[in-house]
Amino acid sequence: MSRIELVDLRKEYGNVVAVKAMDLTIEDGEFIVFVGPSGCGKTTTLRMIAGFEDPTNGEIRIDGTVVNEKEPGDRDLGMVFQSHALFPHKNVADNIAFGLRMKKVPQDEQAARVKEVSELVRITHLLGKMPAQCSGGESQRIALARTLVTEPSNFLLDEPLSSLDAKLRRELRAECDRLHDELQKTFIYVTHDQEEAMTLADRIIVMNQGEIVQQGTPMEIYSDPVSYFVADFFGNPAMNLIDGEFAKSGDGMEFKSGHFDIPLPIKFSAVTPGSGTLGIRPENVGIGASSGGATIEREVELVEPLGKDTLLYFETEEARPFVAVIEGTEEVKRHANVTINFPDDAIFLFDGNGDRIR
Amino acid sequence: MAMTKTQRRNAFSAFRYLMLTFWLLIVAFPIFWMVSTSFKPDSEWFAWPPVYISENATLQNYLVVWADVSEYATNEKGELQTYTQSLQRPWEALGNSAIISVIATTLSVLFGSVLAYGVSRYQILSEGRMFQLLMLRMVPPIVLVAPISIWYSSLGLLDTILGLVMLYFLTTLPYAVWMSKSFIDEVPREMEQAAEILGASRARTIWEVVLPLVRSGLVATFLFILILTWSEYLLALLLSKTAVVTLPVELSKYQGSTEGRVYGRQAALSVGITLPLIVVGMIIRKHLARGFSFGMVRR
Repeated sequence: MSRIELVDLRKEYGNVVAVKAMDLTIEDGEFIVFVGPSGCGKTTTLRMIAGFEDPTNGEIRIDGTVVNEKEPGDRDLGMVFQSHALFPHKNVADNIAFGLRMKKVPQDEQAARVKEVSELVRITHLLGKMPAQCSGGESQRIALARTLVTEPSNFLLDEPLSSLDAKLRRELRAECDRLHDELQKTFIYVTHDQEEAMTLADRIIVMNQGEIVQQGTPMEIYSDPVSYFVADFFGNPAMNLIDGEFAKSGDGMEFKSGHFDIPLPIKFSAVTPGSGTLGIRPENVGIGASSGGATIEREVELVEPLGKDTLLYFETEEARPFVAVIEGTEEVKRHANVTINFPDDAIFLFDGNGDRIR
Repeated sequence: MAMTKTQRRNAFSAFRYLMLTFWLLIVAFPIFWMVSTSFKPDSEWFAWPPVYISENATLQNYLVVWADVSEYATNEKGELQTYTQSLQRPWEALGNSAIISVIATTLSVLFGSVLAYGVSRYQILSEGRMFQLLMLRMVPPIVLVAPISIWYSSLGLLDTILGLVMLYFLTTLPYAVWMSKSFIDEVPREMEQAAEILGASRARTIWEVVLPLVRSGLVATFLFILILTWSEYLLALLLSKTAVVTLPVELSKYQGSTEGRVYGRQAALSVGITLPLIVVGMIIRKHLARGFSFGMVRR
């Protein structure tokens, strides 16, 4: 059993508050992903858990014991760094065995465990090499092995894949998932990549400006964002977010902005008039045939076929175009006029502060 | 006629080698001249047109300087007479120089790198303080000499090995801090943290992770400072009288109002001064290439 609790955790650097009063409990075996833009405090939080940063205030408990005063090496943690941080002057086998040597594990057991763990992450062929001879993906596997071999109860991963190219990233992402499945240990993973968060996490912790703005399963975060920030951060292509005004129109409400005037669904009849934002995910935008909900006619500005899907771009008031995803390479031509459909249950509204209106 | 890309590249390459060769000639000429002169008999020291490579090469200069072989010269009456240069003690000077510069350099690199580690990792000195440290080197040594010699004479450090070691240690410390800091900065903190979280103690981390990575840099720093202290002249001249003579001071004794200009002897001594540095450089050249290229750590 290993449970990590953060109690009223705070970190200040001079006048800058990196993490504001954070409370969080991470259960044993959970795959937690901290996600947010750079500077949101996610890495600082991880480094406080690791023991590289001392909290300004608050407690970190592992298994009920306060570990604030414990050295990083005594916290039963393993950590994988963005830069891999392999020791360049030791060969791969010595790199992996380092932690065992520090813990004074007998020689023959060291060898056996290095072998075992390198089979687990499929790097047995690299054991005799130096880190400089290994590729980025291989280095990250070695870094994983070096952490795995000491069998910590908790794994901290600080943007472990961000220095790799897209294909390798997907490959190693799957590897992380597999390892978590096999080991059943707690993984705490930090990333700024929403896709990694969506695919890996049991629970996503979305952070912004030193605070948790939302937490939940990937589907909860995707389908029920609490704010403009979260809605904007998750999903690829990003959610269409159009700034405009909510105004009364007959019995109901209407959303008005230069290019898009859309009557709002009945459930939003009680919205206070004023400025706000309308959001709809590109994949929920209907093109052509109506499926109920508001429709408008627009000219397609740009067509981007991606093979399986096609992206349609429409002009807006803002720099960001309005995007719709349609399946297949359907014959929609550039400059054609199409009907854009806003299904009632796909519409998100956010008030002037960026908070969700339900 | 326009050149093709390959031709242009070759032409540029040729030009580059030409420039480098030219530069090499300029740099190497004094060394060549020193070695050449050291083998010349006295008649050729001042010869015009100059003798580049002597046809009457002799070891006489070396024997006189280093083996204390008596010299013969004719006096006014035409009689052959021996005279010895009893004031010169090159072997003693070599010993003094070796002791002083090796000890001072070792201390300097040892303390400097520890200080640099503290600056690099714990900011024990602010950036301003680091620059002040470097500014110490901007003070002309002559400014220091008067107060230090007064101070040293009352402390009984004048004309002692300890006195010069202390002075060289302190004056080269800024270099040691700055140079080794640049190497320590190159070692990513994450590498130390990785060792730490794997259970290594601070001392263990420094010994097993940091030190092997900065070793080449420290060796380069060592050589750099060794050259500085080995060839230091002004302070050595003014703070030593007779008891402790270092090689650069010794060298000056071969040219002056009483000695005349014994270029051949001086050159033979110079070769002896230069050779140890070349030997040290050869021994540690593996580290030098690495140390000066900062290329050990792949990010």
